[in-house]
Amino acid sequence: MTAATLAHDAHGDVDQLYIETRELRLQGFLLFLISDCVLFSSFIFAYLYMRNSGQGWPPPGIHRLDVPFAAWNSVVLFGSGATMHYALENFKHGHWMRYMIFLLATIVLGAGFLAGQGYEYTHLIYGEHVTWAGSGIFGASFFTLTGMHGLHVFIGVCYLTVLVLQSSAGVYTRGKYFGITAGTLYWHFVDVIWVVLFSIFYLI
Amino acid sequence: MVEHKAQPAGLSGGFWTVTAILTALSIAAIVFWSIFPLEKYLPAAIITARQVDLLFRFMAASGSALWIFVAGYLLYFSIAFRARATDPPDAIGLQVHDNHKLEFWWTVIPALFVVLLSIVSVRIWYQVMLEPENGIVVQAIGHQFYFSFRYPQINGEVTDEMHLPRDVPVTLNLTSADVIHGFWVPAMRLKNDTVPGLVTTIKFTPIRDGRYPIICTQFCGVLHSEMDKQYLVIEEKPAFDAWFKKWQEKNAHASNALPSAGGGAVALQGGNASAGKALFAQKCSACHKVAPFSQTLVGPGLAGVLHDPSHPNLVNNQPATPQNVAGILQNGFTGSMGTMPNATANGLSRQDIANLVAFLDSLK
Amino acid sequence: MSVAAVHPGGIADHIHPEPQGFVRRYVFSLDHKIIGIQYIITAFVFFMLSGLLAEVIRTQLLNPNGGFVSSDTYNEVYSVHGSAMVWLVIIPLLTGGFGNLVFPLQIGARDVAFPWLNMLSFWIFPVSGLMLFASFLMGAPTAGWMEYPPVSLQGAAGTSMWCAAIFLVGVSSTMTGINFVVTILKMRAPGMTFTRMPLFCWGQFATAPLLMIATTALAAALAALFIEREFGVPFYDPTKGGSPVMWQHMFWFYSHPAVYIMILPAFGIISEVLPTFSRKPIFGYKLIAFSSMAIALAGFMVWAHHMFTSGLAPFLQLPFMILTFVIGVPTGIKIFSWTATLFGGKIHFSTAMLFALGFIGLFTLGGITGIFLAAIPFDLHVHGTYFIVAHLHYVLVGGSLMGVFAGMYYWFPKMSGRLLNETLGKWHFWLFFLGFNGTFIPMHWLGMLGMPREVATYDPQFAFWNRFESVASYLMAFSILLFFVNVLWSIRNGKRSGPNPWGGRTLEWQIPSPPHYYNFKHIPTVYGLPYDFAQPLPYKGLDEELTDSPPAVAAGAH
Repeated sequence: MTAATLAHDAHGDVDQLYIETRELRLQGFLLFLISDCVLFSSFIFAYLYMRNSGQGWPPPGIHRLDVPFAAWNSVVLFGSGATMHYALENFKHGHWMRYMIFLLATIVLGAGFLAGQGYEYTHLIYGEHVTWAGSGIFGASFFTLTGMHGLHVFIGVCYLTVLVLQSSAGVYTRGKYFGITAGTLYWHFVDVIWVVLFSIFYLI
Repeated sequence: MVEHKAQPAGLSGGFWTVTAILTALSIAAIVFWSIFPLEKYLPAAIITARQVDLLFRFMAASGSALWIFVAGYLLYFSIAFRARATDPPDAIGLQVHDNHKLEFWWTVIPALFVVLLSIVSVRIWYQVMLEPENGIVVQAIGHQFYFSFRYPQINGEVTDEMHLPRDVPVTLNLTSADVIHGFWVPAMRLKNDTVPGLVTTIKFTPIRDGRYPIICTQFCGVLHSEMDKQYLVIEEKPAFDAWFKKWQEKNAHASNALPSAGGGAVALQGGNASAGKALFAQKCSACHKVAPFSQTLVGPGLAGVLHDPSHPNLVNNQPATPQNVAGILQNGFTGSMGTMPNATANGLSRQDIANLVAFLDSLK
Repeated sequence: MSVAAVHPGGIADHIHPEPQGFVRRYVFSLDHKIIGIQYIITAFVFFMLSGLLAEVIRTQLLNPNGGFVSSDTYNEVYSVHGSAMVWLVIIPLLTGGFGNLVFPLQIGARDVAFPWLNMLSFWIFPVSGLMLFASFLMGAPTAGWMEYPPVSLQGAAGTSMWCAAIFLVGVSSTMTGINFVVTILKMRAPGMTFTRMPLFCWGQFATAPLLMIATTALAAALAALFIEREFGVPFYDPTKGGSPVMWQHMFWFYSHPAVYIMILPAFGIISEVLPTFSRKPIFGYKLIAFSSMAIALAGFMVWAHHMFTSGLAPFLQLPFMILTFVIGVPTGIKIFSWTATLFGGKIHFSTAMLFALGFIGLFTLGGITGIFLAAIPFDLHVHGTYFIVAHLHYVLVGGSLMGVFAGMYYWFPKMSGRLLNETLGKWHFWLFFLGFNGTFIPMHWLGMLGMPREVATYDPQFAFWNRFESVASYLMAFSILLFFVNVLWSIRNGKRSGPNPWGGRTLEWQIPSPPHYYNFKHIPTVYGLPYDFAQPLPYKGLDEELTDSPPAVAAGAH
């Protein structure tokens, strides 16, 4: 599919059934994000609870996390949020090539974030001997929460890759592109979670 | 379909008769709960037990009255308004949707009752919490599957019964050596969980001599059911003193017989007290204060650990010598007051231990 | 708010072709009614199993020294009994079961919003149930349905299996919750505004967000427990810096709302049964509906009342006590409204109605003892004793399970087209009522006098009442046997019910029993509340539902 054919479709293929189904899916997806948010909140509560139960933070023997590095990595992730936004906007306006470029940029930045996180993990585990199970509640909460977030990013990258393939195969049209909307919502959700995680692990 | 309009909408005489009967029953229930001899079935061993009973009487009386009215009307309406064989098959009931006045009152009256109940409960709760704490301090420690008790002047642990002198306020610190247990003395109407790594406190004043079961109320492992075989003994001061002396003597004797904690001696030469001080702030201060023994955070204050004549022994009943302190730092200790992590868990090298002991030794 | 009209070509104007073949129709079905029945059958199978476990418990307690099973087995038995009854029986019956079966019909929808998700939710459920029971093979969990660490960290390998099973059934619940919220928000028939919705739908509407939000918090707690047990990552172990009390916060943040998950739909069932059998509008419709929402909301703010003995700071405990008292007010409103509904009625004592009346009496008692337990000084006495066991069974058996039975007798005709036998049903009710009270009333004073819960042996002074309870519990078990016999017999031989055996006025009674797979030939338009017995039915467009005419829209794939 090219930009020309995409523009041709306009909204002609959107019927009542699709409009109603899309509304249901959108609502269902938002509710899913809410319950996912509760999952993160529970672990965040656990982390703050353990952190405040007396030991001082970071616990003795563990260095503060590398804030500048994580800050750069955050910029990468937030950048991917911006590119995802532009990908969706361009798709809506029928700019097929720009959509693909921004979508691919999102995937690259997301993968870059994961690579950064991988580097950080490697450094912590082999450089500082901070591990998931062996470093008390610090290791437990840090690796569980950032790992969960990383898993979400990973799933997001996979999903965006599927989007690229689907888009190339012409699954989405100017009227029917809920898959892209959902991907964008999910990606922004993952960004917002990272804002919270970054604040509570690196800033405070 | 319109015959319901012919039905009288008002309340019949039967309704008022039933209301009168239910009122009488409710009053009977209130009187019953006011005079019911609770203490005949479960003695009240401490002052606040009677307050808790009072709260129970209050709630049971009002709860019974409420239930009698609900169940009474339920029964009466069911019988009075049953469909009869003479009714046409499509007969319908009174078509009332709501009654704002009635709904207003049955919202407001329970709400007011909630306010009253809150006031009563909070008052009694304050009495339970604000018992004086100028008397004896005891520590109860949950184990799988028994409780042990520590008294300030008895070195080591009392493991059979908890004795308390009558009329002396008690501050009971609860903790656990392994899992969560519940420390409950039904006669005290009081319980608290013993949580590992946490010290919780209950305060009370015994007022009645007797031997009362201590029961574990949190599932704690396969023999949980067996944790109801220990007793709280409340007795006159002289009897208590005699028991106390017996345990003091027994434990003074026993402490020497215990084997050393093992793990090999730690070389203590070359310990640096100021390095130890920094290390203490970093590694130990989360649980221990540099303060007298009684100032407990999670573990006891350690200011006098090597030089306090009133505490010649360590938690493992060994004499408080630098070598034995180093042994605990090295091997950790699980028991009486909870768990002290070992050197590996704390990240302490041999030199760290030497430094810490030097620091503790420097405190008088 | 509600769907203004059925749009041509929209979801409501669209019928999928009827699936062919046994597997597509009855096994991997997408039809909410079949899925509801699947839930009900599966949950009753688990009910039978965990009911047997309950009888093992009572048999053990015939003697103060036990002796029927070993302490370890006993601990496994009551832990699995509690977990299964909560997660595999009551919650699936009331939400996945009756929820699926009834509320899409009542709001005039053709199905739930996401039929595939619905099927997935269901199929996760029996798998997780089997996992829970399979944990017996590797040493079942022993620390009760609450599995407090650190003792649950010491539990046998089955404890991890338990975590995984409950996690899965939680995933299923969460998906059901999302499905139901969207369905109620988006798929109501034209004119079905929120203030015209039957109260059962309100019950589901209050429950579904709880399923969606609270269950996820439990999932986090379970995941952490699983990780700690299997990989040694410290969350709850105090020797490694974790906090056992944290589990209690996370667990009860779910499990208190779970109490409302288990009772709000039952409230809904009672609110349907009472008006139908007293031929009267439900008294105080709006107040009942809004009090459900109030209870659901407040349910999130009272979890720490389960933790008054675990060493919380006193200033934290106080608001939890008072908020719990406050929940008594909307609950009281419901009870008073139900009682008032009977006034001036023409009451027909069908078995469903008996269970509904029994529900009010017993649930009220359980609610009152709940208020007792919220008062901290009294809770410090009876927490962790048989008083709690009595209270929770009055709420969950006297309340939720009575609601389930009321629903079964009421909606069985809608499921099968046949009535359950009323004579057997009445025997079921009376024996159950007697057996239940005999089993659980004495527990109140046993707890107050000093009998702790979760014990395999006990002080001989409590022997008489324990024996009494055990005998009564056999009576209860026998009554439930009658129920199963009744169901199995009636499925084949029960009296044909016709579409509306009870003269019900909600939408599900206006269509054939069992309904067509597409539910309605025409989606009706709703003009008012269903409970006005003096008025004609407030629906338009139902004229052809009971005729042989084909549905208004052709079946076809889109």
